[in-house]
Amino acid sequence: MALINLAAREINYKIVYYGCGLCGKTTNIQYIHRRVNPNARGRLVSIATEEERTLYFDFLPLSLGTVKGLRTRFHLYTVPGQSFYNASRKLVLQGVDGVVFVADSQISRLDENVDSYLNLWDNLREQDEDPADLGVVLQMNKRDLGSIFSVTDLTELLNHTGSPVIEACALTGVGVFETLKTVCKQVIAKSSRS
Amino acid sequence: MARRKGLVINDDQMQMIDGVLAKLQRVAGSNFVALVSTSGQPITTAPPDVDADTLSLAALAAGSFAATRQLAEVLNEREFTLLFHEGRDTNLHVMQVTDQILLLITFGHETQVGRVRLYTSRALEVLKPIFEDAEDSTEGESFVDKEYSGEAGSAIDDWLPKENA
Repeated sequence: MALINLAAREINYKIVYYGCGLCGKTTNIQYIHRRVNPNARGRLVSIATEEERTLYFDFLPLSLGTVKGLRTRFHLYTVPGQSFYNASRKLVLQGVDGVVFVADSQISRLDENVDSYLNLWDNLREQDEDPADLGVVLQMNKRDLGSIFSVTDLTELLNHTGSPVIEACALTGVGVFETLKTVCKQVIAKSSRS
Repeated sequence: MARRKGLVINDDQMQMIDGVLAKLQRVAGSNFVALVSTSGQPITTAPPDVDADTLSLAALAAGSFAATRQLAEVLNEREFTLLFHEGRDTNLHVMQVTDQILLLITFGHETQVGRVRLYTSRALEVLKPIFEDAEDSTEGESFVDKEYSGEAGSAIDDWLPKENA
């Protein structure tokens, strides 16, 4: 559940972009940062290596404005995708409200996608997260490339929760905002009283 | 699996928290004091109008503290409960209040570290039970309801630019 500060009339949700190395998590965040109204965003913070691979996380705060008297914010994070950074991924997942799993659609990246997907659910389980409490979206990225999986095949492999699926090309922005909108709506719906 | 705990801070609790922070800032000779969640979200600061990017500060401090805890595990130490950064002009001291809350305190070289640690420890004793109550609260449910969800959904539709527009 989100952090609600009733005194400040403020609610904060945490959304994490997850996926294997070079699948396009940081590209999603960078596109959002470039295209969103500057008044609605804070500073983009990246902790990356010299080769611009994410070392710890990228962070971008977004403000939705005031809804029913509550200033509503979404804090977007990415995790480092490379397999040896699992300790960092666990830390970034703490207190998560929604996850965007960014899949690299290329057939050659099958093993990395599956490993990352299993690793996500292992880490959530370790933190006692109930998937039913989380917003989850599967973004199939790099749909513009050749030699890619069909949507049906990737869905079967990487979507055991039956979450919404969005096709994207993060580099050009296709599907980036649709993904963000979908996960934001999901986390709000999950946090609201049923 | 148990439904995970939320954190809902009400007006009375925030008034108490802000009082503790204001006093801590004054007696410890601190530039500013902040409370953030371990998931990286800012809660409050003293003074309230602090000239710092509190959103980035919260995300980075929480990340840094979480990494410190992992370092303790790697070194077979039960826990490192505080984090200290010494700067040329400003020092930053981060301490854990509860599982979900961290306290950040900045101060200059004219202030002794021991003094900061002493007053911070006393403040933690007062802050801890307040946040333990906030962590068990269901008070937010009356605010974050179906009406909020519906309004937020419409706001999200108008919020972001159209694809490739």
